[in-house]
Amino acid sequence: MNGNEPFLQRESVKSVLASLLSIVIGLAFGALVVLVVGLTSKDLGAGSAWEGIRLIFGGLFSTGRGPTGLLTWGFNGQSIGNMLFRAMPLIMTGLSVAMAYKTGLFNIGAPGQYLMGTLVSLSVALGIPSGSLPKALIWLLAFCGALLAGALWGAIPGMLKAFLNINEVIACIMTNWIAANFVTWMFSVSSFKNVVENTKSSYIYKTTYGLVDGAYVNGAGVATAKMGLDKVFPGSQVNGGILIAVLFAVGVYVMMEKTTFGYQLKACGSNRHAARYAGISDRRNIVLSMAIAGALSAGGAGLYCLSGNTEFFWSTYQSLPAIGFNGIPVALLAVCNPIGVIFTAIFMSMLSISGLQLTNLTAYNEYITDVIIAVIVYLAAFSLVIKMWLGRRKKAGRANANAAPPPKPQPAAADDKKGGGAQ
Amino acid sequence: MDNSQDYVIEMLHITKEFPGIKANDDITLQLRRGEIHALLGENGAGKSTLMSVLFGLYQPEQGEIRKNGEKVTINDPNDATALGIGMVHQHFKLVEVFTVLDNIILGAETTGALGFLKKAEARKKVEALSEKYGLKVDLDAKVEDITVGMQQRVEILKMLYRDNEILIFDEPTAVLTPQEIDELMATMKEFAREGKSILFISHKLNEIMAVADRVSVLRKGRYIGTVNTADTNKQELSNMMVGRPVQLEVRKTPAQPKEEVLRVEHFCVPSHVHKRNAVNDVSFTVRAGEIVCIAGIDGNGQTELVYGLSGLDKSNGGSVTLCGEDVTHYSIHRRGANMSHIPEDRHKHGLVLDFTLEQNMVLQRFNEPQFQHGGFIDGGAVRAYAEKLIDQYDVRSGQGPITKARSMSGGNQQKAIIAREIDRDKPLIIAVQPTRGLDVGAIEYIHSQLVAERDKGKAILLVSLELDEVMSLSDRILVMYEGEIVGELDPKQTNVQELGLYMAGAKREGKEATA
Repeated sequence: MNGNEPFLQRESVKSVLASLLSIVIGLAFGALVVLVVGLTSKDLGAGSAWEGIRLIFGGLFSTGRGPTGLLTWGFNGQSIGNMLFRAMPLIMTGLSVAMAYKTGLFNIGAPGQYLMGTLVSLSVALGIPSGSLPKALIWLLAFCGALLAGALWGAIPGMLKAFLNINEVIACIMTNWIAANFVTWMFSVSSFKNVVENTKSSYIYKTTYGLVDGAYVNGAGVATAKMGLDKVFPGSQVNGGILIAVLFAVGVYVMMEKTTFGYQLKACGSNRHAARYAGISDRRNIVLSMAIAGALSAGGAGLYCLSGNTEFFWSTYQSLPAIGFNGIPVALLAVCNPIGVIFTAIFMSMLSISGLQLTNLTAYNEYITDVIIAVIVYLAAFSLVIKMWLGRRKKAGRANANAAPPPKPQPAAADDKKGGGAQ
Repeated sequence: MDNSQDYVIEMLHITKEFPGIKANDDITLQLRRGEIHALLGENGAGKSTLMSVLFGLYQPEQGEIRKNGEKVTINDPNDATALGIGMVHQHFKLVEVFTVLDNIILGAETTGALGFLKKAEARKKVEALSEKYGLKVDLDAKVEDITVGMQQRVEILKMLYRDNEILIFDEPTAVLTPQEIDELMATMKEFAREGKSILFISHKLNEIMAVADRVSVLRKGRYIGTVNTADTNKQELSNMMVGRPVQLEVRKTPAQPKEEVLRVEHFCVPSHVHKRNAVNDVSFTVRAGEIVCIAGIDGNGQTELVYGLSGLDKSNGGSVTLCGEDVTHYSIHRRGANMSHIPEDRHKHGLVLDFTLEQNMVLQRFNEPQFQHGGFIDGGAVRAYAEKLIDQYDVRSGQGPITKARSMSGGNQQKAIIAREIDRDKPLIIAVQPTRGLDVGAIEYIHSQLVAERDKGKAILLVSLELDEVMSLSDRILVMYEGEIVGELDPKQTNVQELGLYMAGAKREGKEATA
């Protein structure tokens, strides 16, 4: 019977429209900020404002400035590749939040789970001496270790919720900071620190460094295979991890929508009491749900860190990774649909690429794109309101259309509806 | 005679549409001053929608509302209050953590010069009202701690405190015990004597006949007619409401009990409220082919007994034997092998409201081989099964199997649960208040289904607060009082009065008679 409904009235179509509307308004607001800043600043003018606006909308396809100083446009493999690279961990954290949300849990613990994934993937990749195992196996161990660590870390708030009825949001916030301090401590006592002379700050070795005879040698370590993507998007950081992330998204979708396991998780999430009544173990499912969410976040960290060309600043006890928190807007914008998460994560990354182009090519700075993201997140939270508004407009439109011709007999299907609906 | 002078409120040709459904279609309702006017209709007939229009919660597409003959516009509940219209909603609108007094004055607070509350003044007024109408409440108790009956009295006092002249009661008796219902009826009559006008929404014919002066009947969103209760009878009203002759009495043959299915011995279940056991040393049996009814006033341990039997709560003594197997320490899932359970609270336990109807139909069965292959749900099989049940049990919904359970009417939600539980085909059916809040058409249907299952050889344990249901449906009656079974009665040899004495704890049998 779904097919009988007008296309625009379908719940899924309305959701997508609501998200698209948030995006358009967000971009328009960003353009407005650029314009206002441009017109009010001494150094900028209407011309630069126009350049800025074009970069906000099309920064992905900017190829720099031509010999005449005008912006040039075209296919920019580096930008697109980097966009996909940045989307890779975001897809994972977005999936984490979306999947938990579908089971009635708000996983604000993604940053902590992400950090635990970072800790384990880096420790395994750097800790196993090169040559002792095949590189692919080390990579796999590091990635699976990250998944496991995230699962365990996510299971903690899950257990607190299931057995002691402690709100998962509070438990997640606390485990986030425990993770931040724990990870800092672990790396501070580790031998993975790549201390660069004359700088006080220190990063962890990239995973391309491998332990050979007690010393780290660049090129001896592991890095995610490029899988030919470096040929398609030359000069970018993208690697096969993005394909793995997409596979995870499809996997989560299938798990949630097609399997009995997903059915149980959703039943517990929607109505814990009814699930229990039906003989489903509500506690087990809450713990599992948080564990899977944790594994996804940490998997994102694994993919990112194991890319080989990424750096990690180990003294993280004062700040939580933004990639974790950004999973929330990614999931919200995708209305918690795992497949939608792929696209919203890519979109968010596109914005940050546009921001970089803005910085590189104009006098604006990239934080303008943060404003855009903030507006979009804000509107994404309002998506329900926008959906209702869309529904009302469509209804009013239909009523007007019906008023013009003489009243048609109601279709027979209307009879089915009499038993239902509001009293 | 000028008619408009007669009516305190008139709702003329009201039409209100929701997507896919015309909830009110050209409905006219005229309320006289000082009368009790009942609004009768099945679930989904449009009663609540009409009242929400009057209370300003919905705006009608067509029609107008008049007060004392003058047209008025009601945009929100504040407008309604200003016009002297007050409403006791079916689901109370109280702040749980506030005291009774705070709830009554909320939204109508009188304040002093600096904006401080004048609580003492309010207290005096509420106490006076409470005394005048015999509405006993504890003004300093928190709403979450008081009984449902007292919560309703708080709602009534809220209306009186605001000097409302037009009182709307939306299904007020659904949550009350028989005694509380009698008290409420008396209070309503007292209000009418004083010249207040009352709109009484109900589908319980007994109550309407007892208390109302006139009845307006709605069916499927349409206005059917208005009659004087003096000139009509229950059968006529139910025919008007349902649109066909309805069987008001349960038709059944004498029971032919066979083998024992459920044996409960010295069963105890702890209470969540107090330190004593909610169910204390209860023993009884249910045999195949009989309906055993647990009667009692709400809150005497019936809910906890069922929780204990179904495994939702842990027991702390005694044993439960189901089909010859000791299931005392079994999980809910394992008990489900021989037991189906129509739960008391269909929204809390019975349904996952955000799931579709078809998903709800397989709530316990999704793991069975016919509905899944290797962990993947067989959508086609689930759809086919749901369609079969929908068809067989006449579950009505907007979009068939893919309707969200939340959007269905209460009666059809209950029908869906009954369909699911009966179709699981287990030797024992526990049915807890299976007809609560339902209209006569649905009640008739559910009663006949339960009798049919009994005749197929199922053991049925019925928990009911409705004396009529207890008397007409059961083959044996066990009366529960303060967590214990105080009497076993034969419905053919007892009457409502005797049952009432047992239920109130005024009479009890020796322990040995309860086994």
